[in-house]
Amino acid sequence: MKVLVSWLRDFVDINVSPDELGQTLTMRGFELSSIDPVDTHQKMGSDPFFDAVLDFEVTANRPDALSVIGLAREVGTAYSLPVKPLVPKPLPQTPTRDVTVRLEAPDLCPRYAAAVADVTIGPSPEWLAARLQAAGVRPINNVVDVTNYVLLELGQPMHAFDLDRLAGKEIRIRRARPGERIKTLDSTDRALDPDMLVIADADRAQAIAGVMGGGLSEVSDSTRTIVLESAFFNPKSVRRTSKMLGLKTEASARFERGADVNAAVTGIERAITLLVEIGAGQGRGGAIDEYPSPVSPKRIELRRARIGSMLGLEIDDPDIERILKGLGFQVRRNEAGWEVSVPTFRVDVSREVDLIEEVGRHYGYDRLPSTFPALTEPAPPSDPRIARDRLVRRVLAAAGCSEALTFSFIDTALAAHFADHDAIVPIGNPLSAQFSVLRPSLLPGLLTSVAHNRHRERADVRLFELGATMTRAGESRRVAAALTGHAGEAHWSGARRPIDFFDVKGIAEGLGGALQADVTFDAASLPSYLVRGRAATVSAGGRVIGSVGMLAPAIVSAAGLAANEDVYVAELDLDALAAARPAAPLTVKPLPRYPSIARDISIVVDHTLPAAAVRGTIRSAAPDTLVSIREFDRYQGKGVPDGRVSLSLRLTFRSPERTLTDAEVEAAMKRILDALKSAHDAVQR
Amino acid sequence: MSAESDLQALRDKYLGRKSGAITALMKSVAMAPAELKPVLGKQANELKQEIEQQLVERKTALEATKAPVGAVDISLPGRTPQLGHIHPLTIVREQIEVIFTRLGYQVLEGPEVEDDYHNFEALNMPAEHPARDMQDTLYLSGEIQGAGRPATLLRTHTSPMQIRYMERHQPPVRIIVPGKVYRRDDLDLTHTPMFQQVEGLVVGEGITMADLKGTLSAFARELFEPDTKVQIRPSFFPYTEPSAEVFIGCVFCHGSGCPICKRTGWLEIGGSGMVHPAVFESVGYDPERYTGFAFGMGIERIAILKYGVDDIRLFYENDLRFLEQFPL
Repeated sequence: MKVLVSWLRDFVDINVSPDELGQTLTMRGFELSSIDPVDTHQKMGSDPFFDAVLDFEVTANRPDALSVIGLAREVGTAYSLPVKPLVPKPLPQTPTRDVTVRLEAPDLCPRYAAAVADVTIGPSPEWLAARLQAAGVRPINNVVDVTNYVLLELGQPMHAFDLDRLAGKEIRIRRARPGERIKTLDSTDRALDPDMLVIADADRAQAIAGVMGGGLSEVSDSTRTIVLESAFFNPKSVRRTSKMLGLKTEASARFERGADVNAAVTGIERAITLLVEIGAGQGRGGAIDEYPSPVSPKRIELRRARIGSMLGLEIDDPDIERILKGLGFQVRRNEAGWEVSVPTFRVDVSREVDLIEEVGRHYGYDRLPSTFPALTEPAPPSDPRIARDRLVRRVLAAAGCSEALTFSFIDTALAAHFADHDAIVPIGNPLSAQFSVLRPSLLPGLLTSVAHNRHRERADVRLFELGATMTRAGESRRVAAALTGHAGEAHWSGARRPIDFFDVKGIAEGLGGALQADVTFDAASLPSYLVRGRAATVSAGGRVIGSVGMLAPAIVSAAGLAANEDVYVAELDLDALAAARPAAPLTVKPLPRYPSIARDISIVVDHTLPAAAVRGTIRSAAPDTLVSIREFDRYQGKGVPDGRVSLSLRLTFRSPERTLTDAEVEAAMKRILDALKSAHDAVQR
Repeated sequence: MSAESDLQALRDKYLGRKSGAITALMKSVAMAPAELKPVLGKQANELKQEIEQQLVERKTALEATKAPVGAVDISLPGRTPQLGHIHPLTIVREQIEVIFTRLGYQVLEGPEVEDDYHNFEALNMPAEHPARDMQDTLYLSGEIQGAGRPATLLRTHTSPMQIRYMERHQPPVRIIVPGKVYRRDDLDLTHTPMFQQVEGLVVGEGITMADLKGTLSAFARELFEPDTKVQIRPSFFPYTEPSAEVFIGCVFCHGSGCPICKRTGWLEIGGSGMVHPAVFESVGYDPERYTGFAFGMGIERIAILKYGVDDIRLFYENDLRFLEQFPL
């Protein structure tokens, strides 16, 4: 709301600099967004030092402050100055008969006032035009300017129709007819909907109620008689209409937040007073006022004790009364506090707490003490996901991955690689194609981030993300990693190796270890975005919780990377992983008391034989004293026949009860080698 | 003299058993007249000791210049553990969690896909409420499984978790809820369609707006600087009454005026207020018995102020040159 300080001074005798005034209202809830000097101050006869255009942000709950008088009440209360009431000259009692008003939709229009005036169209006087201009309203002609002036001054939207253009000299407030259209003042032809309220003459819609007038009955240079409209339209109805038409106006902004139902006639009187004052016309008879169910001011009990218990500060009675009266409330003291009568322009005040806010905000939040709420009982534990996610992030960072954050909505085409079409949830009103569906996986976003870095001279990229994914089945919490390039940094002590499958498998194993869940891997039911033979499904607690492996080259190239760029990824459902944690609390096992005996074996087996099969055979042939099996070399090449692989393993034996003898370990080794030979045709090297 | 061999030659020349000059001198002293012997002997001995000492010193100096056995070039780079970096928004979020945990708060999380009731209606924003314009919503096409009711939108704030928590728990309440929220905002220097908030809610008997101010002040002093000032200014949110915006004294200019605070000396970090009685009524709390305060702050906003980030999009591009500036 832009307002001239000199206009405010019509109502309150304020004598401070515009800067200070801006600060004062900012601290009372009307943030000053700009302050502009006035170049026409001489024409307005005001002191240049004290005039300026102040632009205040007015919150959605305060339509009354979208007016000069509304802001003047705030200024007056802030500086303990009286606010001069706006008392226009009353019109004659007998309503005019020159126009007929039929209120056919009182649900959407609780009040409709109208009056007729004879006018001589011409330009407005400079002072009036200047005030409008300062408020950002373009002067048009004296009649339209007067309606805009009243809107700005009083907050009451007004409209003027050319009476001679109204068929039947009639005003009907009705819902639009099916298929009805109107050409509005902005020369746009608009289709109306039967939910919309229109102001019509005997034949057709002449205005969209509370939003914009129509071109047909527009005041023009040839207009001689006008009908002034000053109404109260249902806020929800105006809001719906304005939204459906995509048309926001000064009037709709006020009506949809709530105008003052009791300002309708004052608006008419003020407009006619102004028309007379600037020599633009004369009223003809009294106002018509269709107001079937008059609204009286609401009464609210305000308890003194409640103010203190809400704000945490005792405020003296005179201060409370001064503030409320200044803002236009009527107060009557009673035992517990006051009975407060709420003026109808304060549509935001309906409960005691609303009054407490008024008192608090004008008393000043700066004067509130800083206290601390007493802790009456210990806080229950936090969501266990908080600590778990913190751990997961640290494990991945320790594994060399940096944390990424990507948007929860992604491109449809990218998403299609990662989930079934039916599972993907589109955004109903997306901002752009780039953000059109909810992400069914963290991988598309991570891949985009990998590409971002690869395109910026970064050879090695290791990123992870922890966050929600969403499908039709709902939301789940996942963690994912994407790695490309080499492991580790280039170092003088030796060559680096490229990232491979075992890096992402290791990440899944490491996370399982950190969360005390056993994870297993198999090649069954792999997602299609991973390369078969270089990918595995991850399970924990008896259910599939994710997968690890190499991303399909087609997806990598779709993300803008070279198709031969190996990108390895892992993605796990964190809630499922955490659920696989054993229920029993951790208890320590005693440390071994007897020495272990280790034996290394090297066997040559078929190169497709999984290491897990070898381990299984060893386990089944070995005594209980075999405590660990660890592969430490895998070799193909010179000395190993084609299609075969040399596998070296270290087997460690230990008994919790005694020292093992060489002889019994030798016997166990023989049984193991025999079993490997018969099961896998293994040849010892 | 540059090597051990030179040193040995020198030793042989003077102290050698067969042809050393000093050895010869000592022998000739033995043949001197008896009355001169003590004097000559003493002088010859002193000379010998002097030479021996010098030789030892030279040898020590020479050895000090030689590399010890098994030496490494300690100026070469070490095998630095390849640690990744934690995202700055996570760092800030965790700092906030730590502060409030210490103040006796429970840290909770809520769903990101929400239903209209929890996101708006229960928070005193019925359909057609003008305040819904303040938060331009991203709606889902169709419904998806939510927490309870089917979800139809991406939450526009973390406040629905206030409702979800109060529906299931009786006061006292002292929680914070960090998390992602969504608005239909185009990507630019200061806006992203997804950002992070932290919500706070305290409900009990006798909770006041002064408690809100004290809590926010304690928080800001710990998160920013020990002398950071907090100011609350009247504002409007449908779910709080009275409502207030939260400002901190500018961390860049400390009030002297700079472009970042637009020369006001204050920076906005969030919204707050006393829980609206209509919100209590929607969860079945008695607004006569209980009062409470709530606040919500933008984590990006705080990170921008803490680290001097000038483009909010940097948080979501995941450029390693940006991320690597933050510690693990």
